[in-house]
Amino acid sequence: MNNTENSHFKIEYISTSGVYKTPFTLIILLQLFVGGIVLVFINLWFVNQLYFLLTGKQFFSLGLTAEWYYWLLLPLNLYGNIFLFAFSIILFSAGINKILNKVYPPREGVFERGSKEWKYTHRRFWNAYFPIWLARALPIPWSDIFAYRFFGVSIGKNVVAYEGYIDPEFIEIGDFTMTSLNICIFSHLIYHEQIIIKKVKIGKACVVGPQTIVSPGTVMQDGAVLGANSYTWVGQELESDLIHVGTPVSMTFPIQSLEESQEKAERVISDPLENREGDDRI
Amino acid sequence: MFQPASLKGESPVPIDEKIRNKYLIIYLIIIILSFIPCSLFEYIYVLYLWNEGFHLLFFLFLPFNFLILIYILQISAILFSVLFLTIINLLFPPKEGIFSRDVRDKNYLFWNLRNLSKKWPLFISASNPFPWLKNRFTLRFFGVRIGKKTICDTCWISSEFVNIGNNVIIGMGSTLLSFGIEQDKFILKRIQVEDNVLIGAKCVLLPGTIIKKDSKLSAHSYTKFDDILKDNSIYSGHPAKIKEV
Repeated sequence: MNNTENSHFKIEYISTSGVYKTPFTLIILLQLFVGGIVLVFINLWFVNQLYFLLTGKQFFSLGLTAEWYYWLLLPLNLYGNIFLFAFSIILFSAGINKILNKVYPPREGVFERGSKEWKYTHRRFWNAYFPIWLARALPIPWSDIFAYRFFGVSIGKNVVAYEGYIDPEFIEIGDFTMTSLNICIFSHLIYHEQIIIKKVKIGKACVVGPQTIVSPGTVMQDGAVLGANSYTWVGQELESDLIHVGTPVSMTFPIQSLEESQEKAERVISDPLENREGDDRI
Repeated sequence: MFQPASLKGESPVPIDEKIRNKYLIIYLIIIILSFIPCSLFEYIYVLYLWNEGFHLLFFLFLPFNFLILIYILQISAILFSVLFLTIINLLFPPKEGIFSRDVRDKNYLFWNLRNLSKKWPLFISASNPFPWLKNRFTLRFFGVRIGKKTICDTCWISSEFVNIGNNVIIGMGSTLLSFGIEQDKFILKRIQVEDNVLIGAKCVLLPGTIIKKDSKLSAHSYTKFDDILKDNSIYSGHPAKIKEV
């Protein structure tokens, strides 16, 4: 309990990380066009062969002769196109992201609305929006971790991080961490007329429970567990190897083995009142 | 922003199973009608750009073709569902109030029919990659008032009886429900969110909630039925209570 009181930011409420629509949003059209052009021109020779098989003519005389078994490659072609489209867009927008970071490097802190940081975070967010949307629409679910790494989020090995809202910058997730369904990990927060930008650090082998909100500046030490339906304050530290619960986080429980917790549950069921008096945690 | 495919924020339009099976034909007709403009467009595209001997233009404009197709599908789906919606509303105009949850109750039946005709455009608006074609664009056609400079694309907003003011921020994963089902009762009440309100992430607003100007609702809290939140104050908790500073 002590650790939460010390690290309380003087903040009244947790809101959300919102991004307005700006003219820069139209970068999605440019990304779509670039991905589409790459797709079309790489596929051109294959379509050319199929067209030759159908009609005996070619659009471009490449000097190749098609065989009947080219039809067998069609499923592979269709499936590969999905990945080609997504990864060409991810690479392209990662390049734009690097240019934006060189023009105005991102900083942590508390900034006014309408300031230059505000403007450039919008630009970085909209630049990352479409590639991450695409990566999440791909048939392999872990492809968005691959996409996040291109935008400066460091995600370790063996991480489950594909079922929640995660901001695309100022986030560090360690190895073997599991984030559950419908979580929000914010590194940006709207607070009155200001925006708070702070780095979120999630250590190794952490568990972020379902329906939780991780606010900017949260530090989860190795092995910490954030319980279901809870949220953290800005700049809160969660100690290692403990379960943290509450809205906002205010209680801690030790991690028990499965047998221990089963035993305890049986005791509670058989004699609920007596156990409650003796237990100082409830 | 950055939501996975399972949390894309499609506006909730639940449909009773009995009614769904009986009137499924409306839903299928809307889908088929909305694809007709798309196929017309494709026909024109191939007719004008597929020339024997010079195919470069055809392939160069293929990405644009795909882009325009999304727009045409979205807009035609909205138009056809609005057409059905006006016919349904002429037969029985929507009303607020507390009704019984029964197919014989006309309010409940026609609420389901309205939902059935809205389902398809809401589904594609949530699935398309362009954030400017999402909630804000689509819901306005169904009579939801959403003001200017409002962020509401990553939350679930009911498709009728919702008023949202200017410059409002609604957080990720929040839910605005203007309908509710309580045992055998069915409730329909207007939600009002006035100007400059900030709603945090993962909030739930139940039917009849009124949030006055400049007030703020902290993340992870919910409001009661017919709750009125005062202006210029901060609310938080389960259910939301005023926070004294």
